[in-house]
Amino acid sequence: MALLQISGVASGYGEMQILWDIALAVEHGQTVLLLGANSAGKTTLLRTIIGLLPCWQGEILFEGAPLQGLKPAARIRRGIAFMSELGVFPDLTIDENIRLGGYFLGGAEVRRRAERLFGLFPDLAKRRGEPAASLSGGQRKMLGIAKALVSEPKLLLMDEPSSGLAPVFVKQVIETLQTAITGGTALLIAEQNVAFLALADRGFLIEGGHVRLSGTRAELAKNDAVKAAYFGLD
Amino acid sequence: MQLLEYALVGGVLYGLFFSLVGIGLNVVFGVLRMINLAHGQFIVLGGFGAWLLYQDLHLNPIFGVVLAVLGAVAVGIPLYWAVVPRLQQSRDPEMLSFILFFGLAQMIDAGALLAFGASERSIPNGTLGAGSLGILGQAFPDSWWVAATVSVLAILGLYLFLSRTRLGYATRAVMANRAEALASGIDVDQVSVLAFVIGLALAGIAGVFVPFLLGSVSPSLGDALTTTSFAVIIIGSLGRPLGTVVGGLVFGLGTMLMETYFSSWSSLVPYALLVIIVLVRPAGLLGRAVREA
Repeated sequence: MALLQISGVASGYGEMQILWDIALAVEHGQTVLLLGANSAGKTTLLRTIIGLLPCWQGEILFEGAPLQGLKPAARIRRGIAFMSELGVFPDLTIDENIRLGGYFLGGAEVRRRAERLFGLFPDLAKRRGEPAASLSGGQRKMLGIAKALVSEPKLLLMDEPSSGLAPVFVKQVIETLQTAITGGTALLIAEQNVAFLALADRGFLIEGGHVRLSGTRAELAKNDAVKAAYFGLD
Repeated sequence: MQLLEYALVGGVLYGLFFSLVGIGLNVVFGVLRMINLAHGQFIVLGGFGAWLLYQDLHLNPIFGVVLAVLGAVAVGIPLYWAVVPRLQQSRDPEMLSFILFFGLAQMIDAGALLAFGASERSIPNGTLGAGSLGILGQAFPDSWWVAATVSVLAILGLYLFLSRTRLGYATRAVMANRAEALASGIDVDQVSVLAFVIGLALAGIAGVFVPFLLGSVSPSLGDALTTTSFAVIIIGSLGRPLGTVVGGLVFGLGTMLMETYFSSWSSLVPYALLVIIVLVRPAGLLGRAVREA
């Protein structure tokens, strides 16, 4: 049984449909990349999975149980975390941001997990009392990752983790994900930066709200359409 | 020089009271992104609560503070669930909330008129202390000092709640970004109902001191108090409750200075400050830009 199984999903904002008949699966511990240009529907899909947008049609199963009808907080308790493009609350301190990532946990447990994460992110630990707004873009992404990991999710949904970052920081985010994601957490990453393919076991190419292509990392890397659109090769 | 000292000390006391008057409106706006146009009417109800305690039960009106909190819980929770979730699901929650809370304000005005009549109701100053306390050679009645002290304690309590408790972090998170808060697993409904009740409680507590600082309480006072509260929070920073303290102090000092030197113009203070701040610094005195990546 797949960790996340999506079939026939349609969704959108208000009356505007963005997604049509989306089907994909994420296995336990797997990293899956949703590759697509701006407005392709990647963010809409992640927001539908976490429950910020309604699923109009189709089915979203997590560990075999349907997610429809559950509030985002209940989905997070089941083991899903979401790191949005913004990822953090700029007005709150670094420490407060991390603790909010485990909002449903007891105080002692969230403190224990926060300390473990501060061990992984020493730059954040040094500045834990400062507002997140004082961090650079790259550091904010690190904080967003740390915040998302406090709940020790089985599945982490990441929306454009490279957004607004210089290439050197994108590399840093990828390295952080490689070292920080342990214990079998699966990743579903929405990106237009093809560098994230290096992390992925599988990928899905989304265009105009439809899944146009799917395959393993090697298959996508060899695909002419992906090469043309994302590697700049004809 | 004595006049200036009088205006400054009085302005700070008056300003602290008006911080309390406005802060509940800012808490509700910060979390719900809705302007409670009935805010002034809830202040008036707090004033009538204190008056009833004094007039009918012969109790010290300061107990009105407890009554305001209990009343906010009793009224705020059912009112929230009856109104707010439906508004938030509508196409234009901000505009509909204006209309709905305006209607609620008119209903409270009419109810208060039926219950208490149109007369202005006052409470003798001595009920909160018969003497006066002086600073910089300027004496003010005890009731002003009690009002300022309760205002400071209420605002301090709110500050400690927002900065020291888990629910307080969550409240600030919802104020910052509702969708991000939802996606972080925060129970936004729980935070919202709590903020609504806190907003009403703070309004009711401020109302207890209206008969002392404004001379009397009457059903027709609600709209003016809403307008002043709105001016105070815009001056400080809309959506940042603690910015209201700055707004309240600026309003209090401005009003007292005008009353001292140009008394016939003093009623223009909230509107003049509102226009100036919106033109010069629309984010409010404490509004600040967030560093972008």
